[in-house]
Amino acid sequence: MEGISYQRFPKVKIREMKDDYLKFELRETDASMANALRRVMLAEVPTLAIDLVEIEVNSTVLNDEFIAHRLGLIPLTSDRAMSMRFSRDCDACDGDGQCEFCSVEFTLNVRCTSDHTLDVTSTDLRSSDPTICCPVDVAARATAALDPNSAYDPSEQRGIIIVKLRRGQELRLRAIARKGIGKDHAKWSPAATVTFMYEPEIHINEDLMETLTLEEKRSWVESSPTKVFEIDPNTQQVVVVDPEAYTYDDEVIKKAEAMGKPGLVDINAKEDSFIFTVESTGAIKASQLVINAIEILRQKLDAVRLSLDTEECDEQFGELGAHLRGSAV
Amino acid sequence: MGTIPTAEDLDALQELFKPHIESFDHFIESGLETMLLHIKPLQVLDPISKKILRIWLEHPELFYPMRENVSKSRREKILPSECREAGLSYRGRFCADVCFQWDHKGAVIRERFNFGHIPIMLKSKLCHLRGASPHKLISLKEEATEMGGYFICSGMERLFRLLIMPKRNYPMALVRDAFRNRGEGYSNQAVVIRCVREDQSAVTLRLYYLLNGSARLGFTIKGREILLPIGIVLKALVDTTDKEIYDSLTSCYSEMHEKGRGAIGSQLVGERAKIILDEVRELSLLDRSQCLQHIGEYFRPIMNELDMESHFAVGKALLRDYIFVHLVDDHDKFNLLIFMLWKLFAMVDRTAVPDNADALQNQEVLQPGLVITIYLKEKLQEWLHKSRELLMNEMKNKGEQFDFCNLTHIKKVMDKCYPAIIGKAIESMIKNGRLNTSSSLDLQQRESMTIPAERLNFLRFLSHFRSVHRGSFFTGMRTTTVRKLLPESWGFLCPVHTPDGTPCGLLNHLTSTCRISSFFDSRGNTKDFSKIHKSIKDVLVGMGMEPLPPRVGQAGPPDVLYVLLDGRVIGFIASSEIEKFVAHIRRLKIAASSVIPDDLEVGYVPLTLGGAYPGLFLFTSPSRFVRPVRNISLPPKETGGVELIGPFEQAYMEIRCLDGGGGGRSYFPATHEEIHPTGILSVVASLTPWSDHNQSPRNMYQCQMAKQTMGFSSQALQFRTDNKLYHLQTPQSPIVRTAAYSKYCMDEFPTGTNAIVAVLAYTGYDMEDAMILNKSSVERGLFHGHIYQVETFDLVEQRKFDQAFKLFGRSNIDKSKNDWIDSDGLPYVGQMINPGEPFISVHNTITNTTKPTTLKGSEPAIVDYVSIDGTTSKDFMQKVNVRFRRRRNPVIGDKFSSRHGQKGVCSQLWPDIDMPFSAGTGMRPDLIINPHAFPSRMTIGMLLESIAAKGGSLHGKFMDATPFATSIKDADGRSTTDSDSLVDELGPMLTSYGFNYHGLEVMYSGVLGTELACEIFIGPVYYQRLRHMVSDKFQVRSTGTVDPVTRQPIKGRKAGGGIRFGEMERDSVLAHGAAYLLHDRLHTCSDYHIADVCSLCGSILATSFIQHQKRATRHIGGLPPGRAPKKVICHACKTSKGMETVAMPFIFRQLAVELAAMNVKMTLQLSDQA
Repeated sequence: MEGISYQRFPKVKIREMKDDYLKFELRETDASMANALRRVMLAEVPTLAIDLVEIEVNSTVLNDEFIAHRLGLIPLTSDRAMSMRFSRDCDACDGDGQCEFCSVEFTLNVRCTSDHTLDVTSTDLRSSDPTICCPVDVAARATAALDPNSAYDPSEQRGIIIVKLRRGQELRLRAIARKGIGKDHAKWSPAATVTFMYEPEIHINEDLMETLTLEEKRSWVESSPTKVFEIDPNTQQVVVVDPEAYTYDDEVIKKAEAMGKPGLVDINAKEDSFIFTVESTGAIKASQLVINAIEILRQKLDAVRLSLDTEECDEQFGELGAHLRGSAV
Repeated sequence: MGTIPTAEDLDALQELFKPHIESFDHFIESGLETMLLHIKPLQVLDPISKKILRIWLEHPELFYPMRENVSKSRREKILPSECREAGLSYRGRFCADVCFQWDHKGAVIRERFNFGHIPIMLKSKLCHLRGASPHKLISLKEEATEMGGYFICSGMERLFRLLIMPKRNYPMALVRDAFRNRGEGYSNQAVVIRCVREDQSAVTLRLYYLLNGSARLGFTIKGREILLPIGIVLKALVDTTDKEIYDSLTSCYSEMHEKGRGAIGSQLVGERAKIILDEVRELSLLDRSQCLQHIGEYFRPIMNELDMESHFAVGKALLRDYIFVHLVDDHDKFNLLIFMLWKLFAMVDRTAVPDNADALQNQEVLQPGLVITIYLKEKLQEWLHKSRELLMNEMKNKGEQFDFCNLTHIKKVMDKCYPAIIGKAIESMIKNGRLNTSSSLDLQQRESMTIPAERLNFLRFLSHFRSVHRGSFFTGMRTTTVRKLLPESWGFLCPVHTPDGTPCGLLNHLTSTCRISSFFDSRGNTKDFSKIHKSIKDVLVGMGMEPLPPRVGQAGPPDVLYVLLDGRVIGFIASSEIEKFVAHIRRLKIAASSVIPDDLEVGYVPLTLGGAYPGLFLFTSPSRFVRPVRNISLPPKETGGVELIGPFEQAYMEIRCLDGGGGGRSYFPATHEEIHPTGILSVVASLTPWSDHNQSPRNMYQCQMAKQTMGFSSQALQFRTDNKLYHLQTPQSPIVRTAAYSKYCMDEFPTGTNAIVAVLAYTGYDMEDAMILNKSSVERGLFHGHIYQVETFDLVEQRKFDQAFKLFGRSNIDKSKNDWIDSDGLPYVGQMINPGEPFISVHNTITNTTKPTTLKGSEPAIVDYVSIDGTTSKDFMQKVNVRFRRRRNPVIGDKFSSRHGQKGVCSQLWPDIDMPFSAGTGMRPDLIINPHAFPSRMTIGMLLESIAAKGGSLHGKFMDATPFATSIKDADGRSTTDSDSLVDELGPMLTSYGFNYHGLEVMYSGVLGTELACEIFIGPVYYQRLRHMVSDKFQVRSTGTVDPVTRQPIKGRKAGGGIRFGEMERDSVLAHGAAYLLHDRLHTCSDYHIADVCSLCGSILATSFIQHQKRATRHIGGLPPGRAPKKVICHACKTSKGMETVAMPFIFRQLAVELAAMNVKMTLQLSDQA
């Protein structure tokens, strides 16, 4: 085993990229790597979220914990989160939020004086340093204001609602946002959804397909709930229009069997290529999320690698340790 | 959503509470007055002047609830919310005129008496909330949907339990073995009638059949059953001859119709009539006056108050007060008695079957107003009697000094009887649910007449008002016959909504469409029953009914059928004509303009061969069950042909279901039609989506669980002081809902969350009804909740114990508690308080000490609200409610359930990244349940709900899941829906968005990233969080408090005790041979004790320690003091020679002590042998 390297060089190809959405292909690697990436994106990429709330006045209908919980779930811009410290590791402070390395302070001070119901939203949260951290919708508004061409319409955006006030009610609080990861609490998870699928390979048995009437073809094509196949209006042949729309639901295969034509289509999942879909909460850009995830995955692997020479390594990793040693050379 | 419902939205909901409110409204409006009229005037005879004083009651008046203990000039109304917070009763003053008249002539003197305060039902006519709009209700600190129907007694909400009673004024033929115990010669057969007076008090009469052919009339006076020979009663009622009685009795038999259809008589009737008449003759009672004399003579001792009257008058009074009290005229009574004899003889001769007392057909309901009326009557009568006794005593003691004609003297005496106690009695009756009476009031139970209205969630609250109990008498019964679900209950009582366990089948719930007939007509006016009776009789006579000449007995069935109107024989109709009559009355009943009330029950029992006793039984009385069905035999007019029918007539009607069939009896065409199949379900049961696709017990479980769900219990949470209130932080409106959900505005009080449920066996933590919750979902707020608990501190109440004047306040010297207690002695609102920390402190002005109260329990609480009650004391703050909030976010061990009786316990909060995820959407489920939950339980409704909710959420609309909706077919058998299967409707909704037709999805393992072997059924299901939570239940102990007597660990979770390691546990450990473990559990960890035993005398009690004198030797610095040798001496042997130490359970020493106390000496023999 010594000396053999299993190192592979995965390739990433980006298909579609928006601020909060990313679709890319990951090739030449296996499911464990793809899933590790997914798991890190969901649970281990750090962001900022409100973690400590000091309530001064709360005469709203919602109780303190409820409001604190709601504040915690507001996504905050966390571009700097990677370079910040966890407040538990911060030497500069006791983690009480006074320190720029690990925390950002917010204040909220709203009182309703009119007869109309007043919505307290994320726009009412005042950040101590808006450049580092502020609610995502506030950040979006700020960037839109700078860019006259953006499609952002501020009148449509009312902010993330926290609580509603009626006349005379008041909410005054101080909140501290800290760095954290989704593993500890879901509020720190930067990803709304991360999913991947194996890239399918679809081969239509053309000879067998030709034995079908047009009517049969049509019903076969329609048996798939997603639009994978289509009938070419000119040639009246069944063609694959969108292999990735296939959800491995086997509907078409079952249909083919029901029609008495097994083997009409052959669908295989490519074991080494994945199509990722990443949606971000807005805390960090989807592209940055992937980059950060890779970085964190590397750090984790580094941590494993560093412990190679230690004695526990053998106990901890067993054969895997030997494998790692081999590749490390 | 997001707006306050309008009053119209809430109409359907308000309708559900009507049985309670209408009944109390009647009590206020006219029930009180009628009741006073029926209280017999008292007569007091002055032995000196021989003057007679008559005392009676008139003009009752009940007032709106007003603030008490304030100056009389200022009248302020008190609101229910204030009563709840201050722990007061919502009650109004009750006054009545006591009228005095001397010697039956002269002026009547009226004197106003105050009879205390009577609790007022919320939203009744005397409640400040009556007619308030939802907006107004909110401003009065109530729910927008406040429905009333209950009372507030000392801050507690209580309501009357609806109880099943035998149908009033209907003679029921019964067979009961208990009847044999009445005496020698009694058979097991009788005809029983529960007669109800106009003032709602009742007397039950039983007509027993004797084996010799005669009959006895039985009734209860003061707990004793009186049995009268029937002949005497017949003769005493009217002036008649033996011939007439004989003819009347035998008219039910004619030789023509022997054994024919509908023949009810037999030749034996004549023989029996002779025996009955012979009995009277043997007593040599020939005419009416003799009979009355005879009765009067016998009953004089029992009928007190009538000691001045003649035998004759006493006899008449007995007949008036006990025999057929619903009738006034003696001829009517005679006729009814004859009718009952016919029915009795028909049952004996097997020409008619006995009635089933357990069937709803022969039952009605006991309503709150009625109970209050009869209880109040009893209490007023008692008060009058007591006053009379006191007056007599006063006259005896004072003699000449007491001026019998002086009203002030008399009033003074009567005031001594505390008239205000009457209000108190009513209030305590509602508070405890106990009727404190000497007589039975003709009710079967005296306990648990009221129940607390728990607001655990709205469904539970609502169910209290819709529940009907069979009576606590039946709870102890061994037989299950009373619990059976009988077809007679169809449409009136919900077959699904009954608890399992002890009250199963006894505690039923009214269906959502079922109403209770009341004293009010549909326009809200009080019904005039005499007018109604007259008009019904006029209609029947107009159609050709033979009105009764004074006597019955010219003809009998099957030629003619007798007509009974509310227990009065009003005539007979030729049996060939009767169907026409019935149809006509039904037509008039539906017509809005007619005088015939719309809830008239037309119980036409047709002629059969040995079936139920035939006749036309008409009922107009209140307290009957009624429900709407559509009359299809008449052309539908403006009312839509909706007719209200009762359970009695229902048994003889042809009502078809909407399934397109003709009710299965083509030779009897249906005359009526159900309005909707869900009409047979209670409100709670009709909220289960697609309950028609579930196995029926699952629907029963759901009804139970819906009522113990943590939901949005109250919108006026801020103003409530319930002992315990469960609250779900972020409830949702279900995506899949039934028609009843919107009809009853259930969005005001939602009880669950639409959770994404995946059905798969994952990790093994979902075995055996356990379920896995997604940790991230919980962190985002899924099923977060609170418990609110209120602690009340009443210093006035405390003062009663130690007479010390106390105030809330904190100590000025000791500042250590200032972190928790404010300067007023109360906690800071919003403060978190840990167990053992103080939160309130009370200053005792006499001892000048300040005592803080600390928080009990094992978990922190947050001070939610502090309310100060200003009603108890004007100048000082004396009463305070502190409401605590405890967090109840989901933890392992909490209980959840879907709406299909599928409950489960959370076994893990599983990390989001390890949950399986969907290939298409990347969604991770909130909740995983095991597929094994389905095959044996067959809750297909839950699967349908999942598919439908998935489709609904994709299309952005709510899905209708009303049960039986697909079964509705029109007369040709065509379904109203297009497809034959529900899935065929739901599937395309999914495929249109690219999802699998059957709700399956391809999923990947969250741990490995590989595709799961099979597709997973996943979709949103409305899940409820149940109130059973580990935080309230867990019990753990290593060491702790022990019982001072036995030194064994104590029991009880609150006290920090352990769980009993009992006999069966001991057996199993023993069986495993785990002797050391057994020793450890039962001895070492329990009451391990080392005792000194004197081996000389064998006693463990005679030993005692000897206290050593302090040794004079000085301790050497730095060294520990030398341990003084323990010296034990036996008091009996006066030596310490034979002292041994023995390990034993302490309880053994206790045994020795207890034996010694009985002069038994226990001797131990010690030896070294093992």
